Amino acid sequence: MTRAVLLRSAPALLVLLAALAGPWLAPHPVDEPVTAPFAEPGAQHVLGADALGRDVLSRVLTGGRDLLAAAAAVAVVVTGLAALLAALGAVRPRVRAVVEHVGDFLILIPSVLAILVIGTSFPGAGRLPVVLAAIVLGVPFAVRVASAAAGPLGSAGFVEVARARGDRPLAVACGEILPNLRTTLLALLGLRFVDAVYVVATAGFLQVGVQPPAPDWAVMIRENAEGILLNPWAVAAPGAAIAVLAVSTHVAFDLLLPQARNRTVSRL
Amino acid sequence: MAERVSARPPAAVLGRAVLWRAGLLVLRRAGLLLVLLAAVFLLVDLLPGDAARSTLDANASAGEVAARRARLGLDRPWFERFAHWLGGLCTGDLGVSARGRPVWEVVGPHLPNTLLLGGIVLALTAVAALGLGGLAVLRPGGRLDRAIDSGATVLLALPEFVLGTGLVVVFAFYSDLLPAVTTTSTGGGVHDAGMLVLPALALALPQIGWNTRIVRTALTEQLRAPHVDAAVLDGLPRRRVLLHHLLPGAVPPIATGLATSAGLVLGGAVTVETLFNYPGLGSVLTDALQNRDGPTVAGVVALAGLIITSTLVPADLLGRWARRFA
Repeated sequence: MTRAVLLRSAPALLVLLAALAGPWLAPHPVDEPVTAPFAEPGAQHVLGADALGRDVLSRVLTGGRDLLAAAAAVAVVVTGLAALLAALGAVRPRVRAVVEHVGDFLILIPSVLAILVIGTSFPGAGRLPVVLAAIVLGVPFAVRVASAAAGPLGSAGFVEVARARGDRPLAVACGEILPNLRTTLLALLGLRFVDAVYVVATAGFLQVGVQPPAPDWAVMIRENAEGILLNPWAVAAPGAAIAVLAVSTHVAFDLLLPQARNRTVSRL
Repeated sequence: MAERVSARPPAAVLGRAVLWRAGLLVLRRAGLLLVLLAAVFLLVDLLPGDAARSTLDANASAGEVAARRARLGLDRPWFERFAHWLGGLCTGDLGVSARGRPVWEVVGPHLPNTLLLGGIVLALTAVAALGLGGLAVLRPGGRLDRAIDSGATVLLALPEFVLGTGLVVVFAFYSDLLPAVTTTSTGGGVHDAGMLVLPALALALPQIGWNTRIVRTALTEQLRAPHVDAAVLDGLPRRRVLLHHLLPGAVPPIATGLATSAGLVLGGAVTVETLFNYPGLGSVLTDALQNRDGPTVAGVVALAGLIITSTLVPADLLGRWARRFA
């Protein structure tokens, strides 16, 4: 199990490492033209040049770190909040009901639209509004996943014992329920990371949170799309980085979710 | 058995109760939509930067700005403007954009294009997800099932605009089969059906992945029901068990999944329409956001909320109706 998860997340880890070490590995400056616009790949420029003649390889190596940091922050905070709310909800049904209603409300607006509106409401604040909006909008859905695992624990023997001896709901949630959600929470962390990459990259593509001169995978795809027939690598390379990261993480952490393992039916 | 039948209330009472519950479901969705509209209106209202100022020259006098504010109605309190906007919404009047044009004039011509694209995507998603999910569950755990599940898991992780650029590289660059950009005809419609293929695929493939998994899980859940056991033991053909015994009980989650996809498609349409230069609501929204055009943003988001609510309500009702047979 653990080995399968590690094997499947290996490509994502490679992209992650390249993105972290990239700024030091970049062979050319990222912000000045070094050759002709949309120059084809050559010995000097392995992936060719972008719309302004800047080196694509250097920009791809530099353009992932901020995006990944923002996505990781969203994933960690959302998972943490969801874990706490789900554990509390297992002890206190009212918390669960409130979260359900908020989730039903948020389903009415595509999270991308909401994040765009919030992100553009605070120009000049960088990625922070996008990150905050992604956290607020991501929590209700994450709570649903965590609640499905935490719900049955609410009536488990050891939880009833803890409550009978007078432990407070928060103490029961943190001390008795949370430790039993480890696998679900790890899966949730991975899946929320994939979702956060989606949201942050989509906002970046629409230039919300990052502006064009910055090297950023999503911005690169947008600004080089017009030259896709001249030098496809200028969009294919950042696109592949996002795709490999998202797919590999998703495929790996999806294994940890209980329903994916449930393949015992053998009839029909 | 006889006792259960006699314990049921008369049909007329039952009919009224069903109607009442259905009415409550619709009311709840409508209430949530109203809260959403208020939230959007307030948020747009709080946008720093003022529609009156952003559409005038930087050196416009204070008097000119005040006159523009009065013309756009920006000097009245927010709840008055919200009530006015909401009243207008019911009659199809979305207000006046920051540039002084009626919002409907800006949004209206683009709405059919997005509805066309979204409709194609949802139809494609429903057919593909039901087909693939059904195939997968015919032999749970078999090779085909695992292939379909892996494919769905991969597809659903991909952002639409990444998938879109990938499709352009493959189909427009290497094989030159399909156009990479959309051109509009004089009527504002899409020029040629081939131009719909790549945007529709970029939007549909992730939704197909997501819905195939929902169909597969819902059908697998139904496999455990005792009446399915009975049907299999009776020796009924697999196709008949799938269509008549598994599918009805699996309808509620499948319907909800598809309705949720409607919202995700609208969200994804913003990037895909921008990427393919497709003349839809998404490109209107991108422009409006760049111009800080609050009324237009609110109009587009209100339309999106309306579209999503009108797909969620039938899904709710269908789910409730299907549960009566489960």
